Amino acid sequence: MILSLADVSLSLQGNAGMVDILHGISLDVAPKETVGLVGPSGSGKSSLLMLMGGLERATSGAVEALGNDLTAMDEDALARFRRQHMGVVFQSFHLIPTMTALENVATPLELAGIGDAFDRAAEELEAVGLGHRGGHYPAQMSGGEQQRVALARAAAPRPDILLADEPTGNLDQNTGEAIMDLLFGLRDRHGATLVLVTHSQDLADRCDRTIRLVDGRLDSETRRAEAAE
Amino acid sequence: MTWLTHAWRIARRELRGGLAGFRIFLACLALGVAAIAAVGSVRVSITEGLEREGRNILGGDAEVEFTYRAATDEERAFLEGASAALSEIYDFRSMAATGQGNQADRALTQVKAVDDFYPLVGEVTLDPPLPLEEALAGDGVVVHPVLADRLGLDVGDALWLGAKELTITARLVREPDAGADGFGLGPRTLVRSAALEGSGLLAEGSLFETEYRLALPAGTTDDQLDALRAETAEALQETGARWRDRRNAAPQVERFVERIGSFLVLVGLAGLAVGGVGVSAAVRAYLDRKVGVIATLKTLGAEGRTIFAAYLMQVAVLAAVGIALGLILGALIPLAAGPFIAAQLPVPVALGVHPGPLVEAALYGALTALIFTLWPLARTEQVRAASLFRDATGPARGWPRRRYIVALGVAAASLIGLSAALSGIPMLALYSAAGIAVALGVLILAAWGVRRLSRVLARTRFVRGHPALRLAFGSVGGPGGEATAVVLSLGLGLTVLAAVGQIDANMRAAIDRDLPQVAPSYFFVDIQPDQLEGFLDRVENDPAVSRVDTAPMLGGVVRELAGRPASDYDHWVTRGDRRVSFAGALPEGTTIVAGEWWGADYDGPPQASFAREEAEELGVGIGDNVTVNILGRDITAEITSLREVDFSSGGIGFVIVFNEAALSGAPHTWLSTVYAEESAEAAILRDVAGDAPNITAIRVRDAIGLVTEALSALAAATSWGAGATLLTGFVVLIGAAAAGERARVFEAAVLKTVGATRRTILTSFAIRSALLGAASGVVAIAGGALAGWGILTFVMDAPYRFEWVSATLIVFGGALATLLAGLAFAWRPLAARPARVLRAQD
Repeated sequence: MILSLADVSLSLQGNAGMVDILHGISLDVAPKETVGLVGPSGSGKSSLLMLMGGLERATSGAVEALGNDLTAMDEDALARFRRQHMGVVFQSFHLIPTMTALENVATPLELAGIGDAFDRAAEELEAVGLGHRGGHYPAQMSGGEQQRVALARAAAPRPDILLADEPTGNLDQNTGEAIMDLLFGLRDRHGATLVLVTHSQDLADRCDRTIRLVDGRLDSETRRAEAAE
Repeated sequence: MTWLTHAWRIARRELRGGLAGFRIFLACLALGVAAIAAVGSVRVSITEGLEREGRNILGGDAEVEFTYRAATDEERAFLEGASAALSEIYDFRSMAATGQGNQADRALTQVKAVDDFYPLVGEVTLDPPLPLEEALAGDGVVVHPVLADRLGLDVGDALWLGAKELTITARLVREPDAGADGFGLGPRTLVRSAALEGSGLLAEGSLFETEYRLALPAGTTDDQLDALRAETAEALQETGARWRDRRNAAPQVERFVERIGSFLVLVGLAGLAVGGVGVSAAVRAYLDRKVGVIATLKTLGAEGRTIFAAYLMQVAVLAAVGIALGLILGALIPLAAGPFIAAQLPVPVALGVHPGPLVEAALYGALTALIFTLWPLARTEQVRAASLFRDATGPARGWPRRRYIVALGVAAASLIGLSAALSGIPMLALYSAAGIAVALGVLILAAWGVRRLSRVLARTRFVRGHPALRLAFGSVGGPGGEATAVVLSLGLGLTVLAAVGQIDANMRAAIDRDLPQVAPSYFFVDIQPDQLEGFLDRVENDPAVSRVDTAPMLGGVVRELAGRPASDYDHWVTRGDRRVSFAGALPEGTTIVAGEWWGADYDGPPQASFAREEAEELGVGIGDNVTVNILGRDITAEITSLREVDFSSGGIGFVIVFNEAALSGAPHTWLSTVYAEESAEAAILRDVAGDAPNITAIRVRDAIGLVTEALSALAAATSWGAGATLLTGFVVLIGAAAAGERARVFEAAVLKTVGATRRTILTSFAIRSALLGAASGVVAIAGGALAGWGILTFVMDAPYRFEWVSATLIVFGGALATLLAGLAFAWRPLAARPARVLRAQD
């Protein structure tokens, strides 16, 4: 398995005390599989995705990625792991505002010590149709363009795992569809595993498997073949 | 004015949020106002103390002073008639010795020879606590502890003044009229005038002053004092007598305090300008956060002027709080530092709270707050209601409407005008205002340049593959960020410090390092004409002596210049005593730059040669007349030549030299400068003073030590002022770092997500901080060097040399300060979990 979660729980400190977000989640994701995480707001989809990316720490249970125990790694080890194996796309794009599009895409490549980081970043931008906007800052771009830059940044290091947290949540329908086409296109091109959080059943249906969460628990699981039936 | 009512309601509701987001705003304004209020309070306390204590400081209600002579019987009779009590004091420099001959130890002392009536006011305190009459009875003498220690003498030991042996009866603890005396080169000796008979001192032509202190009947009003002054001027006209009364008892102290006080207020204004940068940044940040509120208010029908007024009112309330804090602090600092300040001054000081300087500081604070907030406030009018429907990234950028720019100009002109009017040194105030404005302009350009350069550097191949470096350049050069606020605030603070550093280092270098290279070892004064030959025989035949210069010297008072009374000129040449000389043939080394020197045998009407630079400053030239009162007689001469005189070399230099025939008949003494190896100095003093105890030797190295000491005190006072400016700079710096923390937390979270380790992120933060600090430091050095050069060249008339050590410390300090401030605010970004930060932004 490329991703493996065993009896994972997550509790966070809220204003009114500890809040239980996830309860005993166990889940395996196979290499090159595409998984859609769906469920109502507050069901814990994004938190589960963050645990998979090592961006959040589980309160209990084990999270393994490519055979590595993420719960045993410190912040820096997790960062190094992500730079080599993971790409993350967010709903709010999260580009660094003081960097141009090209610099944003080149940053993970540079951090990974890749020599031709900027040439590769330019290629990635070209691949998402923004070769001509490399010198622009995020504030000078539309939401759709910013998300395309974020996609290029996530895909640039050729990660084994792509994690996407409602990547079309802040976009109109047409732009959202174009972004999803790009996301799946990139995944297909690089052969990465994709875990996608979404509210859209249509998008979830494009995945090999759809997992439904309710109140922080796995509610149901549907494979595409089953869905087709 | 319904819109104003609406504005006030909006302002009041907005202010309910409290002052939490305005700590930097309040601190900046409070610090600047406090510094100015404190300096002003100390200044007023001292000057009011001088006025209140004038009679005690002067040692009488009035004083009439003669130079190098005592009053004649008629003059004395007039003074006795005009006063209820009269006391006569001789004040002069002399050598105090442990014995006679070549083996005795000698030290320079300032002798005060008094009569039985001294002191008319106040009391002399002695150790042991004897009454003064008892201590000075017979041949008794009282000495300052410093002199006693220097000569290794104690009570009961013999002390020689000239050829007279006296006995030390007590040490001088407190002299009531010490503040009225000027800068003295030697510690005090107090003796009865009668005891100096047979000492050989106070001979004709020697340098001394006589002061006649007048006690007037109790209840004498200032008007009566004025009347007496006029009467005295009439009775003693053309005698060279000078008047001083209880209202200006210590003019030197008063002038010094006024000048240093005014100068420190100007430094304080620079501090307020630095604070203004912080105030402006705080208001900008606040208004950026309020774009949504402003747009909503517009949607609900609020006009631009209502919104502008609402936010102006909020700023006004905050400014009032900041100013009030500053005034409280500024009033308390002098009270807390009272004992320390009082110990530094020769006059009694009671530090208190004075409304005048507090009002002045409040006005400066209010105008500064207005100047630095008007621009961002004016932009609120440009926020469009449509911002609500798009990404609201901040208020519109661009020029505000013309009326706001005019208002800004009026506020700035008022501040500059006010500082020029209230400082008492209008030209320096105007130059300072121009300097601050230019510095701010240059710093804005520098900030723009640093950002531009960083943006270019971030894209060069040189930084590719070094993500920490590229991130640093990218964030300094990218949109938003703290570059401008940091470079402006820290840069201006460091510029003031750099200017003070450059001036101080140059002055020290000139006096401490360069002067001893060119200055003579000794000034010998009061050499009687019949002693000159013996004196020259001793010094000129000494192989360790490289050069001896001599000139006849007389003491005088300049009374008229170019047909105008000397009091019309505000210049050191026309103030106080003026030593003059005479010469026949052109003295060796003299350079005439205008007119012609009289011939060696000239015996026509009196002619004078004037120092070129001083003539230019006074506005006099060839053909003008100069009248100098010498020993009670007015000598009027035509200026027929101008000479170059270099006072900075410490050699003999007279502003006014007369032709020989004009003065050679007048009683005079000789002045000599002796350039000798340091090892031979002691032997020369021993021999000269042993043979002629009336000759006074002033060792230049000792005098330099005293000047350096005075300069250190001045530099310390100025450094405190500059320090307050820098402190405000740090507050702004911390404010900028704190304001940028949110952005850094987000940046660190994204960077961690894409694989950056904490070390990489921390390195990037450190580089960007150090980069901004170093840039501020470099600009500060350029600005400080320019200001230092300008002040030394045009105000102090001294050569300027760039001082590397001070400059390097400034750049290093700037980089370190920003680095520390940056790192202090790096902990949260590094510690934050990426998921929580990024999800909070979704």
